Amino acid sequence: MADVMGREEIPALFEAVAEIFEEKKEELCAMDANMGDGDLGLTMCRGYGALPNLLRQYLETEDIGKMLRKAGMDMAFVVPSTMGTLMASGLMAAGKALKGKAELGSAELCAYLTVFAQGIAERGKCERGDRTILDALGVAAERAEETCAADPDTGLAEIMEAAIAGARDGVEATKAMLPKFGKAVVFSAKAKGIPDQGAVAGLYLLEGMNRYISART
Amino acid sequence: MKKIINRPEDYALDMLKGIYVAHGKEVKAANGDLRAYCTARKHEGKVAIITGGGSGHLPLFLGYVGEGLLDACAVGDVFQSPSAKTIYSATQEVEAGAGVLYLYGNYTGDIMNFDMVAEMCEDDDIPVHSIVGADDVASNTDPGKRRGVAGIFFLYKCAGAKAAAGGTLDEVLAAAQAAKDATRTIGFSLTPCILPEVGHPNFTLDDNEMSMGMGIHGEPGVWNGPLKTADEIAAECMEKLLADMPVPAGDEVAVLINGLGATSQEELYILYGSVANILKEKGIKVYRSFIGEYATSMEMMGASISICKMVNDAMRHQIDYPCHTPFYCQKQDEVMTGGVTDGGCDGTRGNSCAL
Repeated sequence: MADVMGREEIPALFEAVAEIFEEKKEELCAMDANMGDGDLGLTMCRGYGALPNLLRQYLETEDIGKMLRKAGMDMAFVVPSTMGTLMASGLMAAGKALKGKAELGSAELCAYLTVFAQGIAERGKCERGDRTILDALGVAAERAEETCAADPDTGLAEIMEAAIAGARDGVEATKAMLPKFGKAVVFSAKAKGIPDQGAVAGLYLLEGMNRYISART
Repeated sequence: MKKIINRPEDYALDMLKGIYVAHGKEVKAANGDLRAYCTARKHEGKVAIITGGGSGHLPLFLGYVGEGLLDACAVGDVFQSPSAKTIYSATQEVEAGAGVLYLYGNYTGDIMNFDMVAEMCEDDDIPVHSIVGADDVASNTDPGKRRGVAGIFFLYKCAGAKAAAGGTLDEVLAAAQAAKDATRTIGFSLTPCILPEVGHPNFTLDDNEMSMGMGIHGEPGVWNGPLKTADEIAAECMEKLLADMPVPAGDEVAVLINGLGATSQEELYILYGSVANILKEKGIKVYRSFIGEYATSMEMMGASISICKMVNDAMRHQIDYPCHTPFYCQKQDEVMTGGVTDGGCDGTRGNSCAL
């Protein structure tokens, strides 16, 4: 039997993300204070904390794409900071790509991960190697797609595990990268040897999703 | 820091409250968001032009919301981008059935938020075009990466006139694009400004020093060095502007001499005199001059020089088009005959009033 999630599961998927960001709030804020504004943990908590209920507003549309897109727009208003706008942009892009889908199977999950990263790259005008969240999410999406391409019947949890392994590698790689965006540029010299806090947040985002996905089977 | 404020963090909102009290008949806040600053006179069927940007630059950006210019401005905190929500609220308020033009400065945060809302408008079936001012020649050799500074005034003028005259969204965008292609600016500063929430100057210059090419947020310039005379400054600036955008002898330009906040009108006119001499020597005619504060950096001392090449009569008409806002007015020119102009030397039209 194909491993698929129904649209009614999507809010719970992000509740698990909200839960992990609640746990990691202090850690992310401390990392961010060292390099930037210090509000990264708060942004992720507030944004993903609001997302499940934002999604529930659109359950009746019976369209995962539309749910994600509409809730993404709402989330942009809840968290107006740069990272909030980027997360919302990823959701909106993924929503556009998944338009008309009533279920999330392996192919859709891969598409979600890929387009979410693309949405961030387009809105933030950033590339891999710029020491951002994209360095985690970009590798993650690539690994997910590879796993799925090798075997289209790969289960959702297995895809997430591949993505998370990719994100971990991505986080590790940011230790050698210099920041190109935001206040972090000013603290360039301090960046060496420590991972980018945005990339770490990207890893936690995926871990949160998998906390739900791996528990449901 | 010496500023007439209540609490530093309330700088932008307190400013807005004062403006709404003073000009409540002309402007209003959309959706209860004081930062979504909109004209109170909506014209159905007109293309809505919306700008936005950080506070600290008055009369830029919100000062150009009014008749013959813009319909709304999304206001950010000092030198900060407005939020997507504010841009969205302003758009909902002033969109009048003919589409929306987002016209703002080339800054990363602003682009991110305006693009975000433009995408939301797609879902609402509101046609949106976007264009950014990127006129500061000192900021980058790549025209696409230049910062937007005072020259955006000419984009406002041309797009605003076209929209007021009933132009379509494509036509309004084309008018803004033509003005963008024809406009170049360079600025310089003599003293820094202090961000209220920071409390100390954002850079330092010695007493006798100036910074050529500095941006309106204190972005580093081309050189810092001993203060030059008005003639020398004008010569260097005009050389840079005309090297970037050659203007053949006999052609006409509109000139904007903009004070950065703490420079006297007298000095601006001294500078304009120097600029006008240089243009005269080169055989370039001044079609119209604008001298005053158009885009400031709070209490920064310094100025910028912008030129906009008059490429056709449509552009001349747009530059002359009457407009009126709480911060800026330009009257209908009197009918002229036989090339007689309404004052000023070298055939310059009268300076318009930055109120």
